[in-house]
Amino acid sequence: MAPAITVSDLRKSFGDIQALKGVSFSVEDGEIFGLIGPNGAGKTTTLRILGTLISPTSGSAVVHGYDAVKEPDKVRSILSYLPEDAGAYQYLSGEEYLKFMAGFYAHDKEKANAMVEAARGISGLEGRLKDRVNGYSKGMKRRLLIARALMMKPDVAILDEPTAGLDVIQAYHVRGMIKEYAEKMGVTMLVSSHNMLEVEYLCHRVALVNEGTVVAEGSPQELKERFNAVNLEEAFMEAAHIG
Amino acid sequence: MGSFTSIASKEIKELVRDPKILFGIVLLPLLLYPLMGQGLQISQQSVEQAVKGATFSVYTEDTGQIAGAIVQYIIKNNTVTQLHASSLQDALTQFQASKAVAMVYIPDGYSANITVGLKGNVKIYGNLRNMNLAEAQSTNVAGRSVQVYDYYYSLAIIKQLMLATNSAGSPAAIRDPISLSYASIIKGNVVEVSPDQITGLIMSQSIMLPIMVMMMVIFAIQMAATSIALEKEQKTLETLMTLPVGRLTILSGKLAGSIFIAIVGSISYMVGFSFYTASAFSFAPGLTSGSLTGTGVGITPVGYLLLGAVIFVTLVSALALAISLAVFTDNVRSAQSLTGVLIVPLIIPAMILMFSDIDMLPPVIQWVLLAIPYTHSMLASKAAFLGDYWLILRSIIYISVFTVVVLWIAAKIFSTERIITGKLTTFSLRKKPKPQ
Repeated sequence: MAPAITVSDLRKSFGDIQALKGVSFSVEDGEIFGLIGPNGAGKTTTLRILGTLISPTSGSAVVHGYDAVKEPDKVRSILSYLPEDAGAYQYLSGEEYLKFMAGFYAHDKEKANAMVEAARGISGLEGRLKDRVNGYSKGMKRRLLIARALMMKPDVAILDEPTAGLDVIQAYHVRGMIKEYAEKMGVTMLVSSHNMLEVEYLCHRVALVNEGTVVAEGSPQELKERFNAVNLEEAFMEAAHIG
Repeated sequence: MGSFTSIASKEIKELVRDPKILFGIVLLPLLLYPLMGQGLQISQQSVEQAVKGATFSVYTEDTGQIAGAIVQYIIKNNTVTQLHASSLQDALTQFQASKAVAMVYIPDGYSANITVGLKGNVKIYGNLRNMNLAEAQSTNVAGRSVQVYDYYYSLAIIKQLMLATNSAGSPAAIRDPISLSYASIIKGNVVEVSPDQITGLIMSQSIMLPIMVMMMVIFAIQMAATSIALEKEQKTLETLMTLPVGRLTILSGKLAGSIFIAIVGSISYMVGFSFYTASAFSFAPGLTSGSLTGTGVGITPVGYLLLGAVIFVTLVSALALAISLAVFTDNVRSAQSLTGVLIVPLIIPAMILMFSDIDMLPPVIQWVLLAIPYTHSMLASKAAFLGDYWLILRSIIYISVFTVVVLWIAAKIFSTERIITGKLTTFSLRKKPKPQ
């Protein structure tokens, strides 16, 4: 069976700066795959290429057989993308926001309502969905956004730093939400994070990214064993030859 | 609901629910302008009251009968205190200590001068205690009283001379032998109204529309730029652009939402402004457009229709420009600074054309102004008054072409990654890479 995502020798330059220097990895169907690396490693650039927001300078990014550059419309119809630090429309209620987003995927009201109901269950926000988003806490907003990204049961979900900026309790809940949904629905997920413990908890396999290249790839356990490390943080330092 | 309708309706909901926009664009004009008009009316009424109740002083050094006659006239027709002083200095001291706002001073020799056929001197002192309009106008009332006396006194003198010389004719005609009147020719019709009054009417009425359009466009630019910047700042635009919806649909949906709010804002502005003019100028009715019926001056239904089209295309062009530029900003603050720059070419033609006609300007300035689309909305309002529909059509075509070009650029920007990676600071044009 062909991988859900195939990234081959992806390169991207912004002027003189080379953000990606040949990133390659693949994600199997139903797998939660993590991109780990420090800020500026090239994680968001890779995800934005897969999300059809930007084009690579060279290389390819394929989602379920569709090329992200040549067939962006096809990719957009099967993929859901959550940007880092994303917000929702402040003056809409949570429910209105979900209905608005569902409208782009559902072709009739019934399907749209079913998606909103799914989001209600995923987010756990229940009655608070009637409130306007500007009254939500950071954690509630993130739960709403993740529910939005998953409610249409996409073939592939891309979550860029899903717990960034959240406190320990909020991050714990959000991680639980993602893991539960992925296990239940079998959705392929590509998650980026600089929180190694989070990735270890969530992901089946990870790619360690540093300065625009993948320095190591494997399951968290494999990587720890390969680099004789206690955790992924140590494995990353070894793989990236830092310290 | 289609994607376009969905985006436009989301945009309207967001904008209407934003208290800053609801208050600033919809409610403020409805509250502010009537209040301003009321304020102006109250201040004008208070000046009128102060002038009506004003008291004068009269001091005469001349004890002759002719001087006595003018003093009696002034005392009879006004609230006047006659000062008895030893000198002008003494009279001025008494005048300053009194509540009088003006002092009519008749120096010695007034009667003697008039008796021998020379001009008699009269001087009016105005006491500007508070330096306000009422004090100046009260002084003018004293002056007008002297002028009225001067007119009738001169007629009496002329009549005496005519009797003495046994001459025929009217004393008034001898005093002012030429009777001057004005008429205007508009589109071949002779109208018994002076050119000054007609241009005054056109100015006062045709200026309202450009001001309204200018205000509306400024609101719309700020609103559209803020809306895009907010979407960028909150990364909702990034999310929108990964959805299965065309980039042009996103752009046009956002434009439609902004246009709707701008139209609501302009209606609110017009209603507010009409309250303002109704109350602010209630004391000076002057010439009305009714006086010009049948002259071909005035806006016909076709004119209104064309003006509506001009306003619409102007609005769309401004919004498209604002959105195209706002995509290069990082946040709301920098978007608002950027729109400040856009407002300059809007205000310059408005300021120039408010006081001058485009044909009177040097050719280079004319071309520069004509290149700015907002100039055309100002020219169109005057053209609508004069029924010059070809000029309005020309303006609509120019603004439409400009809008299509801007929309094409905006659509191009929207379909590239520049919307995600491009940045434009207020003072410099540069692309900042932001790899992560």
